[in-house]
Amino acid sequence: MITVRDLHKWFGDLHVLKGVSLDVKKGEALVIIGPSGSGKSTLLRCINLLIQPDEGDVIIDGVKVNEPKIRPEWVRQQVGMVFQSFNLFTHLTALQNVMIGLTKVKRLPKGEAERIARFELERVGLADKADAYPAQLSGGQQQRVAIARALALNPKAVLFDEPTSALDPEYIREVLDVMTKLAEEGMTMVVVTHEMGFAHNVADRVLFMADGVVVEEGAPEEIFERPKKDRTKAFVGKILG
Amino acid sequence: MTKSFVRRRIRLTRSLALRIVFGLIGAGAGLLLVYLAGLLGVYDLGYALSLLPPRGRALTTGLLTTLEFMALVMPLGFGLGFVFGWARTSRAWPARAVATTYVEFFRGMPPVVLVAFAFLITIVVFRGNDRIDIFALATGAGVMALAAHSGAYQAEIIRAGILSVPTGQIEAAEAIGMSKGTILARITLPQMFRISLPALGNEFASLIKDTSLLSTIGALELTFQGKNLSAVLAVGGGNLDLVIIIWVEIALLYFVITIVVSRALQAIEKRYRVPGLEAAQL
Repeated sequence: MITVRDLHKWFGDLHVLKGVSLDVKKGEALVIIGPSGSGKSTLLRCINLLIQPDEGDVIIDGVKVNEPKIRPEWVRQQVGMVFQSFNLFTHLTALQNVMIGLTKVKRLPKGEAERIARFELERVGLADKADAYPAQLSGGQQQRVAIARALALNPKAVLFDEPTSALDPEYIREVLDVMTKLAEEGMTMVVVTHEMGFAHNVADRVLFMADGVVVEEGAPEEIFERPKKDRTKAFVGKILG
Repeated sequence: MTKSFVRRRIRLTRSLALRIVFGLIGAGAGLLLVYLAGLLGVYDLGYALSLLPPRGRALTTGLLTTLEFMALVMPLGFGLGFVFGWARTSRAWPARAVATTYVEFFRGMPPVVLVAFAFLITIVVFRGNDRIDIFALATGAGVMALAAHSGAYQAEIIRAGILSVPTGQIEAAEAIGMSKGTILARITLPQMFRISLPALGNEFASLIKDTSLLSTIGALELTFQGKNLSAVLAVGGGNLDLVIIIWVEIALLYFVITIVVSRALQAIEKRYRVPGLEAAQL
């Protein structure tokens, strides 16, 4: 579903991604872990072309998307994204936040867009908050609306960029539950997270990144219990205490 | 959707009308106070009333001219402010450079000086050309100068409004595949507009009174009429009380216009208020 081949990205002199490759099969949940500054967020943003990679290929559903002839807007409709800081549109209600991509990007009629949006809000357990503005929602609720907003466009895959890192501890569970349900429903997911419990229980595969390269990847048990590389051992040791 | 929109429109119109009525009642109360002061013998009421028709005519002309200037200066100033404020946030440096130069130039000089420059330069440039009404043209230039001055202030208000929209929201909009134009129209502008309204209202309120600066180039607006009437009365050995009355009347007229405009803007502000986007919170 998503293939990344030998991806490089520089910010000025800073070589952030140094030849990253990965493969996500349809229906798979891939969790990316690694210390901050290792290029995880940049990698996610290169997949939906929020950042244009400098070298290498991003292939989504068999189509190489980092090509000048392909509109990034089109690519982003295929791959949803959920951000650390939710980034809901402040001036729109929860329902309107979910609807706007349908009406203004997919150009669906209002009635149909509203039907889909209500369904997606229901899916994240927020049907009763449709008319609330982001400022009236808790962090956990905001993040669930953001997930509904990404799902509404019926993406082929969803990227999660540390979706629980900005949440108060009491709201982390509800967001992880929604994500777990999604993974069980067979959504293709790439998740950057520090939630090792989630990585352990939900991920099909875990990928450890450091300094812009993939150090090691494998099944969650392999990475967490029998890491091969020293860097992985050190990181996992610190995280799991 | 459309139905609720129409309903909202009606509600807005109704609350706007209500506010304007309140403004007028306030002004009426002010005039009543002036009249009462006359009754109590603070000034010669009979004399003041006897000169009501000529002064009424002059002040009506002045009021209409002032309203006309407002109708020009407010949208022009807003248009300039919007375009240059937006350009100030542009990623293209030439756009930023032009906009910054505009803002610094027109904000850096007293509006009365700008008005004088615009007026005089127009006169000099078109001197001797008798096919056009040079005075009207020069007055128009003065009006433009005022709009440009206010536009410089409004550009900064707009710029602050645009910058207050979190970049994360722009990124989120990009991530759902929105085009740049849609992001501007659907995400940036609606938030900018709500955040900027109170400051814009403030700027409009001061702009209304700045139209009085056009009296310095002989435009027949309210303040000019006031000066003119005062001068006529002074030369004719008239009553100083009446001069004061005239200026009270002029002050009240400005007051009413300002109240009506700022109340109208407050009504719009209230109508579009959204939790989390109140200017007070920012």
